[in-house]
Amino acid sequence: MAPSQGPPKSILKTSLPSAYAAVNAEQPAPHHSSLSQEEQDRYLQGRPGANARHLDIALQHAQQIQAQKDAEEMILDRTVELLAIPASSSADPASPSPEEARTFKSALVSFRPTDYDNYIMERNYEDLCGYGLCPRKNRKESANARGQTFHFKYGVKGSGPGGRGRSMDIVPREKLEKWCSDECAERALFIRVQLAEEPVWERRASDTRSMRILLLEEARAKRQKQPRAESSSAVEVTADMENLKIQDPDRSRELALERGDNTVIHRDGRVDIQINEKEHGSGPSASAPQWRPEDALGGSIEGHVPKELGNKRPTQDEGDLLDQI
Amino acid sequence: MDGEIAQRSGDEADKEMTRLWRTWRTVYEMLSDRGYEVSDDELQLSLIDFKHKYADPMGYPDRTKMKIQARPTEEMKMKYTALPSKSNPTPQPDCGTIYVDFCPDSSGVGTKQVRAFNHIVDESNFHTGVFITQTPISPSAVRLLSGIPGRICEHFQEQDLLVNITRHELVPKHVLLSPEEKARLLERYRLKESQLPRMQVSDPVARYLGLRRGQVVKIIRKSETAGRYASYRWVI
Repeated sequence: MAPSQGPPKSILKTSLPSAYAAVNAEQPAPHHSSLSQEEQDRYLQGRPGANARHLDIALQHAQQIQAQKDAEEMILDRTVELLAIPASSSADPASPSPEEARTFKSALVSFRPTDYDNYIMERNYEDLCGYGLCPRKNRKESANARGQTFHFKYGVKGSGPGGRGRSMDIVPREKLEKWCSDECAERALFIRVQLAEEPVWERRASDTRSMRILLLEEARAKRQKQPRAESSSAVEVTADMENLKIQDPDRSRELALERGDNTVIHRDGRVDIQINEKEHGSGPSASAPQWRPEDALGGSIEGHVPKELGNKRPTQDEGDLLDQI
Repeated sequence: MDGEIAQRSGDEADKEMTRLWRTWRTVYEMLSDRGYEVSDDELQLSLIDFKHKYADPMGYPDRTKMKIQARPTEEMKMKYTALPSKSNPTPQPDCGTIYVDFCPDSSGVGTKQVRAFNHIVDESNFHTGVFITQTPISPSAVRLLSGIPGRICEHFQEQDLLVNITRHELVPKHVLLSPEEKARLLERYRLKESQLPRMQVSDPVARYLGLRRGQVVKIIRKSETAGRYASYRWVI
């Protein structure tokens, strides 16, 4: 009998690890640019089951987590920085200094609504109005209203339903005490609705939705201008139609943005996008359906041709009618 | 009329003083349970002495005076020293002087106060800081508090420490294992640490004991059948 050479090897690959191993063996491990060969060896040393691919995946996830931490840190820093504006106590929230407005808007780009809420809370703790460009104090209810959780707000005479009486709002006191005035509340909440829900480390580089934050005053100024712009000529309309085309390279890039899993994360928490256009094959095109005689009756329903019920009913009805007579 | 108001405010001050005294005592018990050097006098400070020491002329507590520093005992240092390894043959204990600060602000504790606290901890080179406030602190402040690299900052509310939860009869005794004891335990049961039952760092008892990720605690509870029953938890 010949001496056996170790345990017999199974031909079937049933377990998941071995299946993965087979797949991994086929694919060459993607070389990571930031890691030299000796560094790789150092990490892999003492871990017999690991290969360069595992290391790569581990590194990628670590980088993702690091990017997330960095971004959170950045938001915290911004929150603290923003507490310092407006610098002058006489600044007007309705027409802030352009410089401060710019700082304010650029800092808020990376915020989520919850971060913004934290920022407002932080301002209130410093006895400031919740709107970032307002130097006034937030309002405090009088001492006798301290115990009440809700506040009744009455409108002007004739503002009620049907133009009679007064309109009335019941507002939680803590909501009311966030701001110095209703105008500031409006301004602050107008900014809040413009912030993007997804965290900054998941946003795409070209996601411009939250990049351009407008102050309420700017938005109002814009809206007043718009009606004039609306009466456009046919030329403008056709120009607009041209704009809608997808063939425009910018547009197509926007459409093609699809986050892949192995994109490299940048230090500032943004995803670097690499666009790969999908190649279109010129396959056979389908022809339009043609009319056939059996289609006149509605045809078959998934292969089943219903019996003609229509012929039976009338005779039965007739019979009934005759019986009655 | 004036006398009545004075009487009422006196009552109020008394009430606040008593509450704060209980918190104060729990803080000392906590420090002693964690293994810091605390004298018996400090542990058994009476309300009258406490009032005498920390009350302002109005009878209200003066929190700015209330600061505690404590050094770890040898036993604690041993528990916090990692096992010697090839890369680190002589490990240093990962614990040091603790600093406890009571925040005097009665509402709205935000990043401003926490930054001041962080500054003190960093400046005086304390290993651990405990920040005690009367109200909850803002989310950004929480993040800021945990953000000093190389130092540990914890936060408690005064009302969390009003009673010492570990003295309750339904809370079993938690004992922190040293790295050596942990290694022995894992070897005895032939386990990896990830195979142990777990416990969160945010668990009230874990917060009380200042446990850190990766440590193992032994929980000893009474058992009707066995007398004593020990189980282990891996802190994550």
